[in-house]
Formats: sequence, C-alpha cells, structure tokens
Amino acid sequence: MKKSILGLAILLVVSMFSTGCSTAATATKSTVPDVSETNSESVTEDTSAASQTETKDKFVIGMAQCNLGEPWRVAMNDQIALAAKDYPMFEIVYSDAAQDNSKQIADIENFIQMDVDLIITSPNESKPLTNVIKKAYDAGIPVILLDRKIEGDSYTQFIGADNVLMGLEAGKYVAETLLPDGGKVLEIKGLEGTSGGIDRDKGFREGIASNPKVEIIAVSNADWLREKAITIAEEMLQANEEVDLIITLNDPMTEGAYIAAKNMGREKDIMFVGFDALPTPDGGIKSVMEGRMSLTLVYPTGGKEAIESAYALLVEGKTLEKNITLGTELITPENAEDAYIRYGGE
Amino acid sequence: MKQLQIKMGNTISKNNIMGSVKKVQSVFGLIILLIIASFVCVKNGKNLFLDWRNIMNVLRAVSENGIIAVGMTMVILLGGIDLSVGSVLGLVGTGSAALMMNNHFGFVPTIIIGLGIGCVYGLFNGVVITKMKMQPFLVTLASMSMARGIARIWSNGAGIPLSYGDGLAPVQFEYLQIRIGGLIPVPAIIFVAVAIIFSIVLNRTKFGRQIYAIGGNERAAFLAGIRVHRIKIFVFMICATLSALSGMIHAAQVSQGGPNDGIGYELNAVAAVCIGGTSLAGGKGTIAGTVIGAVILGLLDNIMGLNGVNSNLQLIVKGLILILAVFLQADKQRD
Repeated sequence: MKKSILGLAILLVVSMFSTGCSTAATATKSTVPDVSETNSESVTEDTSAASQTETKDKFVIGMAQCNLGEPWRVAMNDQIALAAKDYPMFEIVYSDAAQDNSKQIADIENFIQMDVDLIITSPNESKPLTNVIKKAYDAGIPVILLDRKIEGDSYTQFIGADNVLMGLEAGKYVAETLLPDGGKVLEIKGLEGTSGGIDRDKGFREGIASNPKVEIIAVSNADWLREKAITIAEEMLQANEEVDLIITLNDPMTEGAYIAAKNMGREKDIMFVGFDALPTPDGGIKSVMEGRMSLTLVYPTGGKEAIESAYALLVEGKTLEKNITLGTELITPENAEDAYIRYGGE
Repeated sequence: MKQLQIKMGNTISKNNIMGSVKKVQSVFGLIILLIIASFVCVKNGKNLFLDWRNIMNVLRAVSENGIIAVGMTMVILLGGIDLSVGSVLGLVGTGSAALMMNNHFGFVPTIIIGLGIGCVYGLFNGVVITKMKMQPFLVTLASMSMARGIARIWSNGAGIPLSYGDGLAPVQFEYLQIRIGGLIPVPAIIFVAVAIIFSIVLNRTKFGRQIYAIGGNERAAFLAGIRVHRIKIFVFMICATLSALSGMIHAAQVSQGGPNDGIGYELNAVAAVCIGGTSLAGGKGTIAGTVIGAVILGLLDNIMGLNGVNSNLQLIVKGLILILAVFLQADKQRD
C-alpha cells in the first residue's frame, strides 16, 4: 500500500509541476509591484477598480471561454494570444467550460480567487453567468465581455459585432440576390439561450421580410456544433422535399448541413448560407471559395480589441467605453479569395 | 442466516474507527491531494488554496455532483447503475422553474412536486428493471433519453430564467444557492446532510444491510428472504429523488431551468463513486468514500484551475487519476 500511495503522489506532483506550476512560479517572481514609479499621478480607471494606485509591471488576465468545441472560439483564444504577444506585461490564463454553465461559474470563481487583474469572458448563457460575473465586477475586477452578454450592466465593456445587423444583411442578400423569385428556406439555429443566436435570427427574419416569396419552412437547433447539424439537417431534408436554401447561424453548422445534403445527393439543388467567416482552412471563407457556400458574413471575435482595451485600462489607466461594436463584411464567391488573404489566411 | 452473515462478513460495517478507515482508503488520496494543493497553489506569496473562500467554492462546486453521487452509490452497491440522473436533474430543474415562473407555484409545492417527479421517475426505473427483468444500464439509458425529451417539451427547448419577487418565483427558492454568512454555501450544507443521512441508513438500518446483501450475492439474499425487488425499487427511487433535489439546487445556482443542463453528470457521479472505492460489481463501498471521491474530483478541478493548467490537459489528467484511483483500491478488495 505504501508503494502505491507513493506512486499516486509522484504522478500528481509530476503532472502539477510539468504544467501549470512552472508558469505560476515565474509569475510570483516578477509580480512584485514597482513602487518606485510615480504614484502621484491620478489614475482615471473604471470606478470599481479602486486598488490600482501603484503601477505594476505584470498583469494576469483570466480568459473564461464557454466552449472550445467551437472553432470560432478557438480562433478567439488564438487571436487573444497573438495580440498579447505585443504586450509582454500580460500573462493570460485560460479556462474552458465545455458548454457547462456550472463549470464556467466555477472557472470564474477560481479567477476571483486568483485575484486576476482583468477577466475576459464569453458567457455560455446570459442568465446563469450573470451572478458570478457581477460578483467579480463588484469585487473590483474589470470584466470584458466578448460576443455574448449577461443581464444587467455589471461589466466594464462589451465587445461584439452587431448580430442583428449581420442577420439583416444576410436576410437582404438572400431576399434580393440569392432568391429574388422566392424560395423555401430551412433555418438551423444555435444554442437557444445565447444572445448572438437570438439577434442573428431576428435580423434575418427582418431582412427577408422585403420578399414575401422567401419562406422559412422549418426551423431547428444544432447548438453551434457541426456534428449535431449533420443529424438535424438530415432530418429536415428528409421531412421537406423542396428546399432551395439552408441557412444556419454559424459556418460549422452550415458545413454540417452541406454534408447532410451531399449524403442525400441534394447539395447541387440547395444554396448554403452561414456566419463567422473565419480565415482558417476549415473556416467559412474557404467554404465559399470552394463553392460549398454562397454567402457568409465576417464575425470578428474581438480578441485583439479585448487585449487593446485591457492595455488601455490596466496600463494607461483610461476609462473604457461600455460598448464596442465591431463591423462585418459579406463574403461571396466574388470576393472570397481576396478576403481570405486580407483576413490573414495562409 | 448466520451462514449468510459469515459469507458477507467484510461488507457488514464495522463500528470501530480502524475498520472504517480501512474501508475508506480513498481518504489517503484525499490527504495527498490536500497536501499538494496547499503547496502548489501559491501566487504572490498568497496561498490561493488554503483560504476559506476557496474551500467553500470547491464544496459548492461539488455539491450537485455529490448529492447525485450519494444516490448513485446506493444503486451501484446493489450491483446496478443509473444513467438517467443527469436528465432527471435537467427535467426537475426545468420543471420547477416552469412551475414557479409560468404557473406561479409557491416554494413548498414546487419542492414537493420536484421531489415527487424524482420519486415517480425512480419508481419507473425500478419497476421496469425488476418486473420486466431488464438490465439497469439499458433501462436507465432509455429513461435518460425520455427525461431529456420531457424537459425540452416542458420548456419549449429554451431555458426558463428565474427572477424572484411578487408574481415571479418565490424568494425562498433563491435560498437554495445563497451563502450563509457570505461564506457557507447552502448546497454544501444540503450535500453534507444528505451524505450523513444516507450513511446512517446504509450502516445502521436493516434496509442498508439488505442493500449490501443484495449487492454481494443477489441469489443468496433472495433465498434468505430479503425482498429484493422491493428494495431495488426503493433504491432507484432514492437515487432519482436525490437527482431531483440536485436539479432544483442547480436551477437556483444558475438562475434558470435549463432543459439541456446535466448532460454528462451521470459520468461525474459514477467517477466520484468509483474513486471513493465502491465496486461497480456491487456489495462493497461507502457513502464516506463517495463524498471523498466527489471532493477529490472537485480538488483536481480547483488545483488545475488555480494554476491555469490548459483545459485539454485537465481532461487527460482527470482520466488518468480516475484509472489510478480505482486501480490502487482494486487490489485491496477481497476475491
């Protein structure tokens, strides 16, 4: 028994020290506040971050992601990491909740416990995460929300594109360019409780209203996931003989729907529309370039802007605007190749 | 009867401390983890782990799984398993939110109906397993899917947000997730209470002994006159009711009744039970072990979270720890 307990102990110690601990150790060495700097300069910061009177030389930022199972969120984290390279005073700590509200609550509690200097997060769902984010905010930790909102206004800044506008643009393009003579549309939505999904759907329906011959004949949810969308699309295609266009609220789901249509031999008769337009090999811009999708819209992750806001707030001591709305761009077969390069695809 | 007792000798609880410690070997793993946590989670000279707020955070985070795992322990002791616990959590979380927000039910009726749904669900599981003579794995796999469907129909697929006040949900429901004195989480108190109650049931009542007997050797238990079917049905009812309780606590903690909540929770519960030393074959195990197992799982998340360990790596580490923990205890079991 003694040998096996020793074995357990060794395993745990090895796994601890080979991963997180080394970064924690280096952080402790360099985080001693630099008191010799000018303390007298009055720092106009967000009102609840009251304790920042000394200039530090190292900041810890906690990034609580809701679901790294989504490629768009992997891109968000990657863009945050890339942007942070320009700011060596930032150390970013990441967590992933795998779509579980309870896990994300625990992740943010850990960040509060770690006394991070700032939290960046995409809440999994609005209501469940509101209390814990408010707790962090009220405790003096600035919070930047990316892409998804919480209820109320207990956060420092929200950065996101205008999903309603994106839905509207998509709807208008479908009504005027893709289906000018009308048509039957299948819609696949994301996870029900997310503000982005609600907004895109709302915008889309407004956008197609100008052409009453465009008709949404069936709606379903695939939780933003590609695999799920394959199954959902198969069912919808099975139940509906005549389909002219499938729109889903993100590119992975649209690719899933495409696969489903291809399996049934119907992909040539249907047009596909999505959102996100990541400039990655598995992203929406490539899908349009390769002819599978007719339209996608760029949904910037805001990762870079979040780090820039963090710098403005923590290092320069500026006050942040409550809302930053990012722009969008329609990606069609005409501009896809050029867009891919412009957005940094290789 | 005496012969039966000799055969089942090891499974009948010893009332002395050494006997208890020998039975709950997972406590060593817990102690090791606690020691590691105390040393490893230090940042800026501040010990992040050995801090009341953090300990309470961990207890809060493990409470839902812990309550479910207590029920799961009893089912596994019987030699069975209940895969529907996560779906029941989602169903009752959603249902209680619906009753309060849409139908304006008060606190007590909601709790009673919520627990009642759990009872009925467990009754269904137990009856189908015993009377239709089907494997628990299969039956609860099916009922897992059914509960999920019912939850989604009840809420039309979306989550039901909880707001408290007049014309909304009763304020007492919110108490299910507050921290007493700003520190001690109510879910943790309920978890500890549930663990104590069912530990007493298992160790000090005839019902408890009969559960161990059935798990150890079902045929012998039956021949000894134990009403196996009745006990099995009771145990499945207890398990589902505890999942229902956990569901309502969960709804209070995330301020919404989510029909998709609880997916995968059955696996966490089984992990807690197994790390705690309960054998999946049945007949051997303790509630204390399960509590330790649940806490160990929570500690792992906490240690790795406080140290910013890559989330993908966390999944691997948890899997390895599960295998290790079960393996280290397996060669201590008889036969």
